[in-house]
Amino acid sequence: MLWYKFWLDTRWRFLIGLLLLGGSAFTIVLAYPRIMQLMPMVPQADTGGELGRRIREAAELSRDYRGYIWSQWFRQQPTQLGTLFAVLLGTGGLVSSAGGGGLFTLSLPVSRHRLVAIRAATGLAELLAIAVVSSLVIPMVSPAVGHTYSVGSAIVHALCWFVAGAVFLSLALLLSTVFSDVWRPLLLTCAIAFALACFDFVFRDVNHYSVFHVMSGETYFRTGALPWFGLFASAAIAAAALYGAAVNFSARDF
Amino acid sequence: MADPHVIETVDLCKRYGTTDAVRGLTLQVPAGSIYGFLGRNGAGKTTTIKMLFGMTRPTSGAVRVFGLAADESHSSVEIRRRAAFVSEDKDLYDHMTVEEMIRFTAAFFPRWRRDLEERYLRAFDLPAGRKVKALSRGMRTKLALLVTLARGAELLVLDEPTSGLDPAMTEEVLQALVQHVAGGDTTVFFSSHQIAEVDQIADRVAIIDRGRAIVAGALDDLRERYRRVQIVFDGSAPDVTFRSPGVERIERNGRVLSVLSSGGAERVVEEARALGPVAVDVLPVTLKEIFLESVVTES
Repeated sequence: MLWYKFWLDTRWRFLIGLLLLGGSAFTIVLAYPRIMQLMPMVPQADTGGELGRRIREAAELSRDYRGYIWSQWFRQQPTQLGTLFAVLLGTGGLVSSAGGGGLFTLSLPVSRHRLVAIRAATGLAELLAIAVVSSLVIPMVSPAVGHTYSVGSAIVHALCWFVAGAVFLSLALLLSTVFSDVWRPLLLTCAIAFALACFDFVFRDVNHYSVFHVMSGETYFRTGALPWFGLFASAAIAAAALYGAAVNFSARDF
Repeated sequence: MADPHVIETVDLCKRYGTTDAVRGLTLQVPAGSIYGFLGRNGAGKTTTIKMLFGMTRPTSGAVRVFGLAADESHSSVEIRRRAAFVSEDKDLYDHMTVEEMIRFTAAFFPRWRRDLEERYLRAFDLPAGRKVKALSRGMRTKLALLVTLARGAELLVLDEPTSGLDPAMTEEVLQALVQHVAGGDTTVFFSSHQIAEVDQIADRVAIIDRGRAIVAGALDDLRERYRRVQIVFDGSAPDVTFRSPGVERIERNGRVLSVLSSGGAERVVEEARALGPVAVDVLPVTLKEIFLESVVTES
């Protein structure tokens, strides 16, 4: 029954995340014909620097439908909104919970390790559902604009998103066992994600190893191969954070 | 032979930084008793209760419940399976309905008493479909009590069970507790700073002040042992000390010398008569007086 309590704690974050990300996938696909109409104007844009480079690259990628979907959706939404919802799904629920009941939970005949495990499993399942469902919106809606998108590709991108997103979810959960309120874990994890994104932006040469690179599935998009190293590294970091959460939660006084 | 003490703490200490919340607490709670744990705000009652349930670990000393070490992870789970806890804030899940809260709790306890659940649901007039966050404080307390009593627990630990309740609701809650205990072998350990309610339902009591038990024992025994001896003189009362064992406090007020004794009155009366008083009266002492005198003496 603990999963049910944790589901109740996080269901609104999950449903809002699902709606926003699913909706954004839907909108991006339906906007494709309109974007194609605007495409001839892009070479005239005379913007220099990193921003100009990104615009030109996005325009170049968008010349084919698969490139458009990746540059406009998988490259942006999972790394931005996806990260935010991964953090939200990992925050609170153990002792700091919007729904209260921290001491009641601790008085149940359940070990603290099990509490952390079920809390983490609930959050990860929700993150997986958001990643898979909103990614599957793309192959489902694509025929409406006269294109097709492989279900297999959507699943692979969802997997990359989920595994890399698990890093932020686990980090938020770890910090939730350190702090007794909901806000500090949320804000600190968002700050860490923002710092990593800035690092990515500044040091483009080494961003192949970044968690956002794994999350966007860029390796898969460009080479067709799965980013195994990044996936394993992300999974290892997430597992380490969850282990840390379990150890810290078990050792804490309430 | 089963352990006669459901709860046993030996020289229990808990330190937070530089603050000693509990310091050298030794308690024994016999099986089947209703044990009142009295103390002022901040005396260490809640910290002690949290240590019984493994929510807080002792800095030193031992804490055993059902003979199991409460500070060990595996034992603590077993303790929580056999004991029930109601926190001072009646901490429940706000986003669940009353019905969901009951079903949720029942899932953890194989000995859940469906008959008690139905009985208290009716007796407490709890609205099954209402969200916990929409319940009044009194209703919330009743729900917390329902999910505690229906577990079939051998030990109920209640932290300030009636705090924030009006007198009628307090009476209802206390009666429910007494009736529940009368029907089985349950031990109740409840903290309070409401002396009247401890006096009303407890058969044993411990008074804790600044983390230490300063008085502990059967309530009847305490009432029997504690006596106030009032000695009236012709003129001003003399500034004297008493050698009798158990003299807790001596007060001089004009012609009257008042001696509180925890060791009976006979020896004090003998000593008092030797001082040549006009009158010597032996008066019974209430739990409130014992509490106040003990706490004041400690201060």
